[in-house]
Order: sequence, then C-alpha cells, then structure tokens
Amino acid sequence: MSMKSATADESLQTSLPKPAAKPAGASAGGTALASLAPALLGLVVPGAFLLVWWGVVAAGVFPPSVLPSPFTVAAAAFDWAFGNPQNGGYSGTLAQAIWASSQRVLLGYGIAMVLGVAIGVPTGASKLMGHLVDPFIHLLRPIPVTAWVPLSLVFFGFGFKGAVFLVALGSFFPIVVNTIEGVRGANRSLVKVGRMLGARGWRLLWYFILPASLPSIFVGLRLGMGISWVLIIVAEMMSVKSGIGYTLLDAYSFGRFDVVIAAMIVLGVMGFLSDRVIVAVQSVVLRWHREVSIHAES
Amino acid sequence: MPNPDMRPGDVILRCERLDRTFVSRDAGENRVLQDINFEMRKGEFVVLIGPSGCGKSTLLNIIAGFDRQTAGRALIDGRPIAGPGPDKAMVFQDYALLPWLNARENIEIGLKMQRIPAARRTETALRYLGLVGLAEAAERPVYKLSGGMQQRVSIARALALEPKVLLMDEPFGALDAFQRAIMHRELVRIWRATQATIIFVTHSLEEAVFLGERVVAMTPKAVGLTGELRIDMPRPRDPLSPEFAAVKRRLYEMITAHLPEEVDVFAD
Ligand SMILES: Nc1ncnc2c1ncn2[C@@H]1O[C@H](COP(=O)(O)OP(=O)(O)OP(=O)(O)O)[C@@H](O)[C@H]1O
Ligand SMILES: [Mg+2]
Repeated sequence: MSMKSATADESLQTSLPKPAAKPAGASAGGTALASLAPALLGLVVPGAFLLVWWGVVAAGVFPPSVLPSPFTVAAAAFDWAFGNPQNGGYSGTLAQAIWASSQRVLLGYGIAMVLGVAIGVPTGASKLMGHLVDPFIHLLRPIPVTAWVPLSLVFFGFGFKGAVFLVALGSFFPIVVNTIEGVRGANRSLVKVGRMLGARGWRLLWYFILPASLPSIFVGLRLGMGISWVLIIVAEMMSVKSGIGYTLLDAYSFGRFDVVIAAMIVLGVMGFLSDRVIVAVQSVVLRWHREVSIHAES
Repeated sequence: MPNPDMRPGDVILRCERLDRTFVSRDAGENRVLQDINFEMRKGEFVVLIGPSGCGKSTLLNIIAGFDRQTAGRALIDGRPIAGPGPDKAMVFQDYALLPWLNARENIEIGLKMQRIPAARRTETALRYLGLVGLAEAAERPVYKLSGGMQQRVSIARALALEPKVLLMDEPFGALDAFQRAIMHRELVRIWRATQATIIFVTHSLEEAVFLGERVVAMTPKAVGLTGELRIDMPRPRDPLSPEFAAVKRRLYEMITAHLPEEVDVFAD
C-alpha cells in the first residue's frame, strides 16, 4: 500500500487547468517523440546484434552451414510457416508444431494451476495443512524436474502423457509455493481488518486474504508458464515425435541450423506471448474480483 | 449514532485487574500490563498516553479482541470481549485500506460483512464519506489518495460500523504536521457529530491535550495506570494559549512523576 503523505489534494491539482507553456503543436510533437523514443531505443541493441551476426557470417568466421545469416534464418522461418507441405522437409509445418507443443503446455500448465492453487490456498490458510504439506513440497522441490524424466517415461511412456506430466510437475512448484506464500503473507493488517469487520472463515478468505494474495499467486503463474516452455522442449527432445522441441532436435540432426535458430526464435515468441496472456488475465481477474467483492451477493 | 438503545453516560467499557504477560523463549516473561483497572462511559473521548513500549497497543489490541489478557476481565457493554468484531472498530496507524477497492467500497465492504443490503450500504458509505469530508473522492481508488485522505476513509469505515467503541492507535502518526493539525480538528468535529466513544492512543502530549476529555497515562513496568487527568477546557482548543500550555505541563508532571530523575520519556 502506498504510504505517501502528500500534502496537496490531488483532486484539486487535476482540476486546475494545465499551464500552456508551449504552443499546442510543439508540445504535441514533443510528447509523441518522447513516447516513441523508448520504443526506438529498445530496438538499438537488437539491431546491433543482428548487424554483428550478419557481419560475422559475411566475414566467414564460421562455415555458413553452422551459422546461417539472419536472412537465411528468416527465409527458413518463412518456409517453415508458409511453405507448401508437399515440398517435404519442414515446409509449412510450423502451425502444426506450435499446436502440438501448445496443447501439451496448456494441459500440463492447466493441471498445475488447478492443483497448485487448490493445494496452495488451504496450505497457506491453515496451520494444520501447512504442517502437513509444507515439508513434502520443500522436499520434492529441489529435485530438478529433468531428473523425473526416466520415471515419467516408465509411468507415462513416450508421448503426449509424459510431456504433459513433466510440464505439470515443473510448473506446479512455483505456483503452489507462491500461492502458499501469498496466502500466508497476506498483509497482516488486512486480515485484522477483515476480522474486525466481522468476516470469518470463507468470507475472510474470499474477500480479504485471497485478493490480497492474488499478486503473489500471479507471480507463481508467470514463473510456472516460463518453466512450462522449458520443460515442453525437454520432453519433446527426449520422448515425443512432434512439436517445436522435436523440430529443433530433428533439424539439428540434419544440420539445418537455419531451422534450429528459427525454432529458437519461435520459442522465444511463444514464451513471451503466453506471459502477456497471463498479465492480461491478471488485470481482468483483479478487476473481476473487485466487482464480485462489492456488487454481487447483496 | 451508535447504539440508540444506550444512554449517554452508561459504562460501555470496563477492564478489571487486566494482566498481559508475553512469554518468549529468548526473553522469558515480559509482563507488559499489570493490574489495569479502567472504565469508560458512552460518548467519552479518552486519550491513552505513554512512552513507546509501555503497552498502549497491547491494551488496545485486547479491547479490540485481537489479543487476550492473561488475567483479569475486559467487558464491553457488560459482556466479556471474545474476539474482534464491528462493535470495537479500530483505526490503524497504517490505514489498512483494501487497495483493490475504491474509497466508497472500502466502507461498504464492512457493511457487507454485516449483511446489510446493497442499497443501504451505498447510502451509508456515502453519508460517512461526507462526514469525513471526502464526498468528492468516493469513487477514487484509495491508493491514489493522500495519507490524510486515506486515514479519513479508514475513520469513515470504522464509524460506519457504528461501533460501541472506536479505537485509534496513533492514527495520525504517518501524517505530516499540517495534516495532523487538520485531522485533530476534524476528529473533534466528527466526535461531536456522532457522539462516538473514542479511545485514542498517542505519545504526544500536545495531541492528548488537544483531543482528550480525559487523559489516562501509562508508564512502562508500572502497576496499573499511573495517572488520570480530566480536561474541561472549552473547544476549540488553542494549542498556543497559556491554558493549553498549563494543562500540558500538568500532564507532563503527572507522567514524569513516576519516573526516576534524569529520564526524559519524550526524548524522541
Ligand atoms: N506479540 C508480542 N510478543 C511479545 N512481546 C510483545 C508482543 N507485542 C508487544 N510486546 C511487548 O510488549 C511491550 C509493549 O508493546 P506495545 O506495542 O503495547 O507498546 P506501545 O505502548 O504501543 O508502544 P508504541 O508507542 O511504540 O506503539 C513491548 O515491550 C513489546 O516488546
Ligand atoms: Mg503501539
């Protein structure tokens, strides 16, 4: 909570007319440039990176089969995405690969989210549950999820189920741990306030503790999503015969480094987009919780 | 406004031989409250004053129901205090507003927990926001309000519960001197308008003399409360007047009389 002790009443400030120091046109141009500048600055380093990459390739430091130029990669990515599948190779298979990987990520992540929150909330809210569940979670958590691969192969076999299991397991831990921490650490004085206002049990949890812990829960959800994309690639490299991770390893074994790099870029974009989706959901959920808190159930 | 069935002057709060001892592994036993006897009538404005660490918050937390005494009795309206609830509303030093709600909703949520219908909730919330001078800010998110405005919302939230006692634990500690002076005047006005029963905790002599009808002093490690001063000065009180200074002096002497020489409890 912000604790600033501003002396001025902001409503007064905002109601005052803004001083017009500059002519309107100049100030509008100035703000447009000012808001554009950070975006442009953000492009400087990637642009320099591409330039160096291209320079290194042009100078022939590595054989072009190992390090293709940015243009070759772009062409490979284009062919991967829009090429005619009849051409064979990777042409036109990108959408399929993305769908295959996303499906597994969504299912595994969904399972982790449901279990993580469903176990995390009572574990954080009840001392008894905490004593029961905490040690188990902290015992399992340090085991790298990749170490589960052999067991996963034994129990779930090569394929869809094994990949979903690994994703679910890996993203479960950050979600459950952050949910527990969020609920447990829900601002002490807000919980006090809830009890003072007469809220008990479920109403205390729903109206005070849960909204207060949502930011922490969403930190877990974002971390979990990041890990999901790592694990889906591991799973697809080890045991599944489709998806972006499979394409990546396959392309490597055929020496198609242009496709390898294109696959890396696609993974980066997928990871970024899924994170954006969670952030968007977060703003909606927080908004929704606010509406429910105050308007529903009158 | 609170409790129309009660007449002014009835005893609303009573502490009998109250003890609170904290036991910790490293520090052993810490007897913070010892044999506290204290009574309060409906509509009274009592200031609880004492240096840091003397147990003011501990006493307030027991009355609020957040903490329990280790011996003795604490009664509100003749009934033992059995946990927190809307009849003992607290105004926290850190405001403790729900940041995901706006000013009006922060007040309504308390009424909602009382299962008051939505239409009446809104009306009540707006009425109390008006009372604390924030009618304009009803729909603004609380984190966009200044500290003083946030504390007003917190006071409105507590008042809207129409509590039997209003507990204020250094509520203006986080405000600057200007805001504090404004809030002091506002609080006196609100108290007169609502006839609320208020316990106000502070370690400022000035605050105590400006606000209190009765000032009760605590000193650390003392048995019971160490002194009591009734202040009949007319309101509005002028902190720069000689009368004010005289009362402040008497209060100071009352508190320091119980201390060894050369110790200045207000040295901060
Ligand atoms: N939960 C607790 N466990 C152990 N000791 C505590 C606890 N709460 C308070 N104390 C002790 O009780 C004593 C009184 O604390 P309290 O917070 O009531 O003081 P205070 O008068 O409100 O001080 P301040 O003016 O600084 O707020 C302190 O010595 C403190 O260490
Ligand atoms: Mg205190």
